[in-house]
Amino acid sequence: MAAPGPPEVITQLESAAKVLMAPPSMVSPEQRQHAEHIFLSFRKSKSPFAVCKHILETSKVDYVLFQAATAVMEAVVREWVLLEKSSIESLRTFLLTYVLQRPNLQKYVREQVLLAVAVIVKRGSLDKSINCKSIFQEVGQLITSGNPTIQTLACSILMALLGEFSSSSKTSSIGLSMEFHGSCKRVFQEEDLKQIFMLTVEVLQEFSRQDNLNAQMSSVFQKYLALANQVLSWNFLPPNLGRHYMAMLESTQNVTLKPTESWREALLDTRVMDLFFTVHRKIREDSDMAQDSLQCLAQLASMHGPVFPDESAQVSYLAHLVEGLLSMINGIEMEDSEAVGISNIISNMISMFPRSVLTALPSDLFTSFINCLTLLTCSFGRSAALEEVLDKDDMVYMEAYDRLLEAWLTLVQDDEHFPRGCFVQSAVQVFNGYIQCHLAAPDGTRNLSGNGVTSTEDEEIHEIQEDDRELFSDQLASIGTLGRVAADHCIPLLTSLLEDRVTRLHGQLQRTQQHLMAASDPATVDRKVLDDLYEDIHWLLLVSGCLLADDPQGETPLIPAEVMDFSISHSTEVDINTTLQIMGSPGEKASSIPGFDRTDTVVRLLSAVLRTSEVESRATRASLTTLLSPQMGKDIVWFLRRWAKTYLLVDEKLYQQVSIPLVTAFGADTEGAQWIVGYLLEKVISNLSVWSSEPELANDTVELLVTLVERRERANMVVQCENWWNLAKQFASRSPPLHLLSSSVQRNLMKALVLGGFAHMDADTKQQYWAEVLHPLQQRFLNLINQENFAQISQETAVRQEITATLEALCGIAEATQIDNVAALFSFLMEFLSSCIGLMEVYRNTPETINLIIEVFVEVAHKQICYLGEVKSMRLYEACLTLLQVYSKNNMGRRRGESTAEEDQYQDLLLIMELLTNLLSKEFIDFSDTDEVFRGQDQGTGTTTRPVSAADVVLYGVNIVLPLMSQDLLKFPSLCNQYYKLITFICEIFPEKIPQLPEELFKSLMFSLELGMTSMSSEVSQLCLEALSPLAEQCAKNQDKESPLFIATRHFLKLVFDMLVLQKHSMEMTVAAGEALYTLVCLHQVEYSELVEALLASQRDAVIYQRLADAFNKLSASSTPPTMDRKQKVAFLKSLEEFVSNVGGLLCVK
Amino acid sequence: MADSATMQDTEFHKADSGASTTFPMQCSSLRKNGHVVLKGRPCKIVEMSTSKTGKHGHAKVHMVGIDIFNGKKYEDICPSTHNMDVPNVTRLDYQVDGYMSLLKDNGDQKEDLKLPTNDLGKEIQSKFEAGDSFMVSNTPFALCWECTTSGICKGQCIERRSLSGK
Repeated sequence: MAAPGPPEVITQLESAAKVLMAPPSMVSPEQRQHAEHIFLSFRKSKSPFAVCKHILETSKVDYVLFQAATAVMEAVVREWVLLEKSSIESLRTFLLTYVLQRPNLQKYVREQVLLAVAVIVKRGSLDKSINCKSIFQEVGQLITSGNPTIQTLACSILMALLGEFSSSSKTSSIGLSMEFHGSCKRVFQEEDLKQIFMLTVEVLQEFSRQDNLNAQMSSVFQKYLALANQVLSWNFLPPNLGRHYMAMLESTQNVTLKPTESWREALLDTRVMDLFFTVHRKIREDSDMAQDSLQCLAQLASMHGPVFPDESAQVSYLAHLVEGLLSMINGIEMEDSEAVGISNIISNMISMFPRSVLTALPSDLFTSFINCLTLLTCSFGRSAALEEVLDKDDMVYMEAYDRLLEAWLTLVQDDEHFPRGCFVQSAVQVFNGYIQCHLAAPDGTRNLSGNGVTSTEDEEIHEIQEDDRELFSDQLASIGTLGRVAADHCIPLLTSLLEDRVTRLHGQLQRTQQHLMAASDPATVDRKVLDDLYEDIHWLLLVSGCLLADDPQGETPLIPAEVMDFSISHSTEVDINTTLQIMGSPGEKASSIPGFDRTDTVVRLLSAVLRTSEVESRATRASLTTLLSPQMGKDIVWFLRRWAKTYLLVDEKLYQQVSIPLVTAFGADTEGAQWIVGYLLEKVISNLSVWSSEPELANDTVELLVTLVERRERANMVVQCENWWNLAKQFASRSPPLHLLSSSVQRNLMKALVLGGFAHMDADTKQQYWAEVLHPLQQRFLNLINQENFAQISQETAVRQEITATLEALCGIAEATQIDNVAALFSFLMEFLSSCIGLMEVYRNTPETINLIIEVFVEVAHKQICYLGEVKSMRLYEACLTLLQVYSKNNMGRRRGESTAEEDQYQDLLLIMELLTNLLSKEFIDFSDTDEVFRGQDQGTGTTTRPVSAADVVLYGVNIVLPLMSQDLLKFPSLCNQYYKLITFICEIFPEKIPQLPEELFKSLMFSLELGMTSMSSEVSQLCLEALSPLAEQCAKNQDKESPLFIATRHFLKLVFDMLVLQKHSMEMTVAAGEALYTLVCLHQVEYSELVEALLASQRDAVIYQRLADAFNKLSASSTPPTMDRKQKVAFLKSLEEFVSNVGGLLCVK
Repeated sequence: MADSATMQDTEFHKADSGASTTFPMQCSSLRKNGHVVLKGRPCKIVEMSTSKTGKHGHAKVHMVGIDIFNGKKYEDICPSTHNMDVPNVTRLDYQVDGYMSLLKDNGDQKEDLKLPTNDLGKEIQSKFEAGDSFMVSNTPFALCWECTTSGICKGQCIERRSLSGK
């Protein structure tokens, strides 16, 4: 294109703009594309400065002005080194003057011009050739002009500078190294940022002094307040970059204020903090501005780091903050929009300041603060409850309440730093407040709207909606912890409330029963009273459960020290016999038993729950099940499970001191414990029959059962109950009601029955037990599949149900595997596995059955392979191989749904990959001790030759899976992760098998690795990098320079090299990539040198060249010549880390 | 034990005399991919979910089923304690090797299945005339459901997808 003169350019651009701005119906896609192209090439044109100036001065089309500003910005960066410094200077002046003289420019045009100014200033700060300081003087003058329009403009300039220098996602790409961005930022934050802050503070001071602000002035005020917030949210870059360099530049989420030392004077000046309090007081009714002012205060409340010279400075800073906060909150009626902001200030304060600083506050001040926090928490809690009643979309008080409860948790969790008991009163109040909001009138305020009217509306609740215990788990955990702090008050309170509600529930159910007998129409029953009682009991159970016990994952749950102390401190006044009597009489009202007021309250609280359970059970026996609440049923078994894990058969050895009442009531070898076990078992059995139609309740119930048998001591007691045997027989006979339960419940039930079988029993009893539990399963199954016509009847409903139930039960049995029962269970399950393979044929057209069969294998491999010795593993491998063969045969030519298909269409693929991964996991986790657990079973067979290896099975499986894994399928996260986990494992464990793969398979494996490295999640990328080292090592062993694997690794060298040197990546990746790089370098030393040479040759800047060359030399020197030697590798990795933090920023360009 | 074909014939006659080809099952124990009668039609369950009215309400089951013969979608919602009818769906595969005369798996002849008069019937006939030997499936449920009123099979009970060459 011949260079047209400015007028032609304008005409051309303006008509292109018209096309772009036209509605889609008016122009064709081609026209639009052409117009876009015109702008793109315009922006790429060489030295467009004169043209752009001309456009800016003459064109009336905003979009063209915008593009001209963009073109200037891009060209300045592009041609920087060629431009005269003076012309850059005058360009900047021109642009600034340009906006100053045109107050009516469109906002987006103005911002773009200012962005160009900011980019010039930032780029200029590199060569120090441009005097950056002048811009601040100019802006300073603009601010003092007193003209609101000019002041707004000044604010926009500062915002643009802030965005450019922040080196965050807001920063424009100017083609310079991350190191440049980083050092610009560091220089900026030391001086210019502070200057911006001081300017802002001055403006805010000015405004806060004025009494009446007109609309225009208040808009300027708002802009500067937002600017202050930006400054205080600055992500300060520490002076020494260290290894987290890259990550620091990128992360911008929830920044806390950690300024450098040079900010000390500016930020420790109490007038600054006072100013923000004053500003907030002034504008708090404007919800938008209040957000900014409170956020500024929250940032100040998060301040930490070298800005404080010592702890006393921190103490006086915090004291001043607390004083300011108290005087701000006291005596005002809070606006809704202030709640979250204020809770943020408090939460930042409590989480950022060390305990020693909090305790060093003057005690009066600390007390007032705690009192204020208490009142605020209670008040937010009430308002949150109101929000729930009104069903508001924006739950600001709920958010604020959550935040404050979290802060309480932080405070009381290490309360040993604080004076003893200093939180008790507050805990009582917050706890009472919570209970009050969750109980119905008259005791509580639940569902009361502001004017005291109760609102009750039964909405449809879908199964995917979380239960309250999950939805409010954080709140409940905080309230439970506060309840422990004030155990003396809270445990008796919960007990009496629950006892009262249960008594009322009992009465109400009786009255309803009489009513039903008279009227006999269930529709006439008023459920309102019942539902209110259920809801009260629901919350009382949840809070009681969270107070009495934790639910730790994988740890031994302990009775909380506060609860134990509480019980101990009252144990002298307690009559143990009466306590036991109340616990053992859930059918009676506690207060009807003489001496009921001299009982242990912790046991009494459990007794109240048992009584609730008993009232429920009796109602079901009286055929009142339809009146009951399944939700309450869930709460009861949830509580009992949580309680049983911690309290049942309490192990005295775990505690320094134990409470006699607790140990007597449910310690080891006590009648109480035996009675409770029997009671719980009865409850479980009753629930599974009464509530088979409530899936969640049945699930919670069977979880309780598993808890009862998963620890040997408890299981020993369980199997002594006759009921347990009845349950086992009933389940084995597959008769109602147990066979109505959902598959997951049936699985868990089977698991529990198997676990129970390993309890302590004499040999005869044990044999009898297995004969009851497992043999019927086997017998029924064999009878069915050995029928001559099984293939023909296999699709009959009853037959399919039987098969499904058997397969589910097998999964349940596998899930019950523990180290001491694996020998028995493995042998039992193995007999089934071969029959299951037969079923694969019969049910080849029934995917859901096929999936279930594979799942049995997955579970067996998952739970058992780690315990199996060589011989047993082999048997499992063989079975799996046969399974895969049948699967592969049947899978050929199988059509699946369309490409829009859902993930569960590929359940079988996922399961197969899971199975293969589980088989491979043996190589990592192996508890077997040469068939130690099978001692005595395998005599003489240990010497047989290996017929099948894990590698054979897995590679056979990969042969099936790999061709099916299209790129489309990799879009499903579960399939993608499982797939990469699998192929990485294979490369790590059997690298020697990879070169032997068929060509196509090999190629797609390599392609998968490359795809995973470059375009998947960082997790997948890391997995693929981990797969490279073993492959390279394999090549080194082989020395075959023609092999496809050798050639592939050469390609990977380049990929990994670029990744490490040229791209941004996280620190975790550096380790994985570094290891891969090292082995690849060892293998391809010549190619590596070439890569380095090429990179160096492309550097134009001599200084950078030298730094890079030095860094590479140092890196290579760490291991010369590179060999596959652990010591050298470690040395290389260490020096690579240095390399990345030293020059990593030079090559990574933004 | 009696072989399946005989059993099937027995059910057919039973059905003829008006006996039920369904059995009741508690709604909560129905499973996805299983069968149920929705709005009078035998369906395969493709979607199941539960809900309740109010926090303390009892579970209700929401089911979506596809009619196993005509592919239409039916929905229903009912309390999870209620019983639903489950059709006794048994798929039997016959090899067609003669007009109106079907060879059962066990070698017996089945001659009481009249060729449907619709397109499916024509398809079977043309396949047969082309000399193909092929499979045809029917289910006793549908024989009773659809055909007993008219006395002859209308072909709905024959699943199109199972009409495959062999």
